[in-house]
Formats: sequence, structure tokens, C-alpha cells
Amino acid sequence: MNDVLVGRALAKRFGQTVALGGVDLAVRAGEAVAIMGPSGSGKSTLLHCLAGIMKPDSGEVHLLGQRIDNLRERDRSALRRTRFGFVFQFGQLLPELPAEENVALPLMLGDVPRDRAVRQARDWFGPLGLHGMETRRPGELSGGQAQRVAIARALVSKPAVVFADEPTGALDQTTGQETMRLLVEATKHNGACLIVVTHDPNVAGWCDRTVEVRDGHLLVGGVRA
Amino acid sequence: MNLDLTWRLLRGGGRKGLLGTWLTLGAVAVSTALLLFAVAANFAFQARADRSAWRNPVETKGAAVAIEAARHDYVRDKEITVIDLAALGADAPAPPGMARFPAPGEVWLSPALKELAGQLPADQLAGRFPSPKGVLGEEALLYPGELVAVVGHKPDAPELTRPRSDDWIVGYSPVKVASLAGEPMDDAEAYQVLALIAGVLMVVPLLVFGGAAARLTVARRDQRLATLRLVGATPGQVVGMTVAEAVIVAFAGAITGTLAYALAAPLLAGIQIGGGGWFVSDLWPSPLVLGGLLVGVPLLVGLSAVVGLRRVVVSPLGVAKRETPPGLRFIRVVALLAVLAVVPLLSRGNAVGPIAVVIGLAFLCVNLVGPWVVGVIGRVTAGRARRPARLLAGRRLVDDPRSAWRTVSGVAMTGFVAGFLCLLSPGALSGFADAGQLQVAVPAGQTATVAEQARTRLKAAGITATVKPAKKLVAVALGTSADAATVDRARTALAGLVPGHTPTTEADDQHFGVQILADVRAGTVVVLSVSFLVAIASAGITAASSILDRRQTYGLLRLAGTPLEVLDKARRAETLIPLTVMGGGAILVGAFCAAPFMIGAVNATGVLTLVLCVGLGFAGVIAAGALSRPLLQSVTTDPAPRPD
Ligand SMILES: Nc1ncnc2c1ncn2[C@@H]1O[C@H](COP(=O)(O)OP(=O)(O)OP(=O)(O)O)[C@@H](O)[C@H]1O
Ligand SMILES: [Mg+2]
Repeated sequence: MNDVLVGRALAKRFGQTVALGGVDLAVRAGEAVAIMGPSGSGKSTLLHCLAGIMKPDSGEVHLLGQRIDNLRERDRSALRRTRFGFVFQFGQLLPELPAEENVALPLMLGDVPRDRAVRQARDWFGPLGLHGMETRRPGELSGGQAQRVAIARALVSKPAVVFADEPTGALDQTTGQETMRLLVEATKHNGACLIVVTHDPNVAGWCDRTVEVRDGHLLVGGVRA
Repeated sequence: MNLDLTWRLLRGGGRKGLLGTWLTLGAVAVSTALLLFAVAANFAFQARADRSAWRNPVETKGAAVAIEAARHDYVRDKEITVIDLAALGADAPAPPGMARFPAPGEVWLSPALKELAGQLPADQLAGRFPSPKGVLGEEALLYPGELVAVVGHKPDAPELTRPRSDDWIVGYSPVKVASLAGEPMDDAEAYQVLALIAGVLMVVPLLVFGGAAARLTVARRDQRLATLRLVGATPGQVVGMTVAEAVIVAFAGAITGTLAYALAAPLLAGIQIGGGGWFVSDLWPSPLVLGGLLVGVPLLVGLSAVVGLRRVVVSPLGVAKRETPPGLRFIRVVALLAVLAVVPLLSRGNAVGPIAVVIGLAFLCVNLVGPWVVGVIGRVTAGRARRPARLLAGRRLVDDPRSAWRTVSGVAMTGFVAGFLCLLSPGALSGFADAGQLQVAVPAGQTATVAEQARTRLKAAGITATVKPAKKLVAVALGTSADAATVDRARTALAGLVPGHTPTTEADDQHFGVQILADVRAGTVVVLSVSFLVAIASAGITAASSILDRRQTYGLLRLAGTPLEVLDKARRAETLIPLTVMGGGAILVGAFCAAPFMIGAVNATGVLTLVLCVGLGFAGVIAAGALSRPLLQSVTTDPAPRPD
């Protein structure tokens, strides 16, 4: 049993809309999974349910054997902060903080002293090709650089799972590819799992496995699972 | 790119965009109402000065139509102004508020005095004005409840032939006048200058606040506008749309503010200055001024919006990229120091006009230096921060010191006012030793005769008193147990004993000084209240708009597990740190500016006012900030915030 994150029969509706109609997904240790599918098919909803952002209407989510979907919001919030990392499309960096402090923020929230948090944060800049960008502010970074800072922030607190919702959606093809490569490599190097929602097959190509979502259901070999 | 599409894109802000519009409308309404108040107050003092001018006769060397004199009488602790008039010839004009010139022996009373004379026993007040002939109209009065008597005499009556005191506080000696126009009294002019200073103190924070309100509309839109520019809208279209919207919203706000002021005017008319309240008509600015404000305020808001938009228009990427703002120049501090250096050079004896200008300038300089100081505070806070909330607060202060300054400027300015007035208002005067002693000035050589007459009159009135002639006066001791009624009976019994002179107690003689003190205090409270309203409204609006501005980042941070309390704490620190540092600094600057004009020692009332000011300011700003917590909650609960 080396599944790190397991979602079982996850269902979620918004009013009349069935966003998820009973989805099963298991992510093994160190695995990178791409979630693909047309717009509105329920990819983000699946990601949010797995990450404890949303409570599914029914079904269960387990992290390392422990059920997390029925925790209180406060505990889920703490779980997200400590066990998960997030990369969103854009706009996740605080514009007033220099890059290194944006990266150090999750550590400081976890009571790591500021000096140590910033030092640990800086260690991520070299490997991600951000050398010299430590004190720049998000407004002074390119889109790709900003996403790499976001990747550093997602990984800095050594999460078990990294969730990424269209992390390259706002980038051009080449930059997107490069960013995706760094995301997958850094995550694996860190021993974390990766779940990434994307529209781009090239991006998905960097992952170990791709799952397709259609109308709230997973497609296995072109048919509803 | 057609105009209609632009308009729809602009309108598409949804409920959150609408919230910005409402906030702007509210802010402009508050600004307009307070601006109206600040302006109207000045006109109100002007109106008082105009109405009281006729009681301040100007002596003529040429052809005279009348003789006029004035003095003060007292009943209980109230002051009565008594005008003595005599016509020289048949063409003496009717005085203000009267149908005709009073014939010898006739008395016109103000409505309040007439009423009081009816209420009190005749031997306490009515006996002093034996034959009331008519009631004075409003044109003759400073304020609705004023006690005034106009007494007609023959030109050769002793009241109008003998000189009186040189001291204008006691009254004016009889003079021949060419008309009853007179000229504004010295104290009326002093009040006008004080009102002007109060106006400057209120208007400067108001303008800062109004500007912030205007930029709020733009802040809500600049992302969208930058997108429009990227899509290809011409700068003209972008500016036109936004400014049109800002002006329309501001006009609605100005109308709302005017209505609010109209509703509040009767309440404001109750503010006691110079012994009484106000005619509501005094507090209502002329149609011209009102029209000017209703046009000017929206125009200013539009102008402010243009300034706010400049960045978007100049570079469509400017807003989208959020570059590091240019640093604020140190020159601002130099300017403040230069103005402060001038203040001590002004001595107390100087005209009040230049003082008002210098204080206004100092005020503007404080305003210029404010953002710079906020930036420094931010750097220090961020540098020393150990916890994320403080770090965030500090960085944000550095990032946008102007916005933080807008939040705290109101209270910082109030602190300046409070520090200034804390030193200025001397303590309450000590109690008067001899409440039961009346004195009346007597021409040299007649003291014995007058003392004898006084004894006879008092005896006839059934009042036991010891009457003693002194060098140039006669003192009537009624005993320490004499109550106010006895004193008024004695005053009435002695009325006209020495024509043109009033028997007064020590407290009566101090009446003017006590009045001035009370007025300074009332003025302080009014200015403080206005500053508070501005500060609190501004804090609330800035807090709300700062949340709206960062809603995407806040939402994503919350998704990533950042506790809302940290963001909230950061937001609070972002206001409280500069407030603490700058509030304190402003009080010191205010106290420093007041030092050259200081009378006597710092007093308990002043310090209490100051403590209250600081306490209320903090509480109000915290409360206003807390009001936006539900907004933070709602903005961040959307699980998938999408850039709109
Ligand atoms: N908060 C919400 N309220 C109502 N309906 C929602 C909400 N969130 C998602 N939905 C609906 O649920 C369905 C799935 O949405 P979801 O965001 O998961 O799609 P997606 O696959 O991520 O699409 P995209 O690729 O466009 O991001 C859609 O029909 C959407 O309209
Ligand atoms: Mg999605």
C-alpha cells in the first residue's frame, strides 16, 4: 500500500450541475499525475476535493491512510499549509513581498524563525534557475519566473503532495514546457507526488500518467470508468 | 473598438465593482457634507459679524444723524447688550430689526429678553427696562436666543453725554454717527479668523480623503482598464468612460451629502459659540456657494480620477505588471522642517491672518511628508518583523505608503489639532471669590452722593447691603449668602443709578474671557469630531478597497492554507503601526506649533481631550477596519477565485 493520496467515489454537485459524479483516483508515492479534459468537465473540482479545499458531497479522501475530507475547515486549512503545496495559474504571489519572502511565507506561517525561513527559501532559487531574483518583487519578474517562484513556495515546506491547477496556462508554449519540466523534476527530487490539471498534452507529457475527465467522470481507455 | 463594448466591459465589474461605486458615493457624500459644514461655518461667522456691526458705532466728524452707545448688563450668568440711541434731527434711520428709530424713553427688547423679563419677577429684570415698546427682529441679533435691549434717549440725556470706560469689553462710549452701519467688532473678526483656521484644519484632511475616494473608483477599474488598453481602446475612450463614471457617481454623492447636511443643519445650529447657537439660515450657504460645491466636488473627483488613470493610459502594462513605485523624495521632509522653523518666529502679538496661513502650510507639509514617513516606518517594521503578519504589514507600507497615509492621515491630522489645542486652551478659571459684591463705576467726586442714592434705592427695594464708596466706584456688598435672585434684584434696583454704567460682579467682568475659553473648547470639539469622522470613514473605505484590490491573491493564499487571521492581523498592523507612530508624531508637531501661542500651563481638560481624541481615534479606526472583515471572509471563500 504505497498510495499517498486516495480519492474514493468522489461526488460534488453545484445546484443542478453535477461537477463530479463519483470519481476514484489513487496517487502512488513519487508519482506525477496529469488531469486533462474539456473546460467545465470537473478538473478543478476534483483537485479541490482531493486537496481538502472543498468538501465532496459524498466519497472519501485519504492522505497516507488517514481520512481528511471529514476534517473541520480549520484542520484542513492547517493540513493544506503543512502537507500540501499549491501552484495556481497566476496571481498567487503577494506583490509587496520580494520573491524570497514569498517563498519563505509558508515556513514562517509554520513558526520557522524568519532568518532560517529566508535562508531555506533562497536554497530553491538556484536549482529553479532563479539565481539573482531573490529580492525582486513579483511585478519585476516574467510570467515564467513568477511561476518558478510559486513552485519554490509550493515545495519549500516539504509537502507530501503538490497540486497545480493549470500552472502553465498563462505562459507561452516554450516557457510552459520549461516550467513544467522544473515542476516535475523538483517535485520528484523532493519525493512528493504531483497532481496537475492542464489543457496542454505537452505539459501532460511530463507526467507519469494522465487521467481524462468528462462530465464529472474519469475516462479509462476512452470509456467512463 | 466601439464605445458600447467599452462601456459594457467597464460595467461588467459585477457586485464587487458595484461595491466600489457605493463606497465612492458614500465617501463623496461624507466629504461634501463636511465640506459644506466647514464652508458654511465661515459664512455663518461672517453673517454674525455683519449683523452685529451696527452695534459698533463709528464716530463721525461731519454731519451726524444719531448718537449711539453700548454697554453690557447681566442677568443671572447671561449677558445683555444694551444699546443707547438718540436721534439728531428727524431723519435718523431705523436701526436693524426695528420699524423706526426709538423715541426717547422707548425700549425694544429681543424676543429672548422679552420672554425672560416675563418669566423673572419684575424686580429682577423687567424693572430695568420700564416701558418696552417693541420686539427686535432677527436682523439685530447675533443668534436666536441673544439678550438685547435698544433704548431711546434724548440727545442730551446723561447716558449719551458722559464718557464711559475705555475698555470695549465693557461697552462703547457715546459717539455721533453718520449712519447706523457701524463696522464689524474686533471680537467678531477674531471669531472669523478662528473659524478660518478651523476650516483649514477640517478641509485639508477632507481633501486627502476625497482624493482617496476618487481613486477608489479607479483602483477598482485599473486592471480592467489595462485590459481594455491591451485590447486596443484609445486612451481617450478609457479616460472618458472612467471619468464620466467617476463624475456621475460623485455628483450623486454630492447631492446625498447636501441632503445629509440639510438634515443635520438644525442640530448643528445648536452648537454654542459666542454665547448661543445659530440661525439655521446662517448655516445654509448661499445658492452660489452651494452650486459651486455641487459642481466643484464632482469636477475635483473627476480630476483625481484622471490623475489616477494616468498610469494606465501612459502604459497599459504599468498596472498589469505592478512595478515598484518610485521612492518619495526626502525634499518633503526638508520642506516641513523649513515651515516649522518659521513658526517660532511668529510672536503672539502678530496678526492672526499670517498665522492661519503658516498653520495651513505646516498642515500641507505634514501631508506631503506623511507618505515618506509611512515608507520609513514600513521599512523599519519589515526589517524587524519576526512573524509573517508584521512582515506583510511592513512590506505593504513600503509598497504603497500613500494609501496607508490616507488611512491614518485623518487621525494624524487630528493629533496635530489636538496637540495644538491641548496647549492652547488654558485651564478653567478659578471660582470667583466674591459672588455677592456689585461694583459700579462712578465719575470722580460723586462717589459719596451715589453711595447715598444706592443705599436709598436698595432700602426701598428691601435689600440689605453694605454700600461703600471707593476711589472711582461704589461697591455694594450683598453678603456671601446672596443668591442669584438677590443679585439680580440689586442690579435692577441700581439700574440707571450712574447713567451708562452697569453694576457688575467680578464674574460679570470676566464674562468675556470665560466666553472665549468656552468657545475655543467648543471649537476644538467640533474640529476633532469632524476629523474623526473623516479618519474613520477613510479607514473603513481604505480597508475595504485594499481587500478588493488583493482579493485574488488573498483567495489563493487562503486556498493554500494561509489562516485568515494572519491576513487580518497584517491588515490591522498595517494601519495601527503608522497610526501609533504618526499619531504620536503629529501630536508633538502640533504641540510644538502651539508653543509660541501658549497661554499658561498645560491643563487637565486639554490633556483629557487629547487622551480622548487618541483613544476614540484608535477605537474608531480599528472598528472601521473590522467592518471589512466580513468582506475579507466573503472575498476569500470563493474556492476558485478567477481574475475578473
Ligand atoms: N462554485 C461553483 N458554483 C457553481 N458551479 C460551479 C462552481 N464551481 C464549478 N462549477 C461548475 O462545475 C463544473 C465543473 O467545474 P470545474 O471548475 O471543475 O471545471 P474545469 O474542468 O476545471 O474547467 P476549466 O478547464 O474551464 O477550468 C462546471 O460546470 C462549473 O460550471
Ligand atoms: Mg479549472
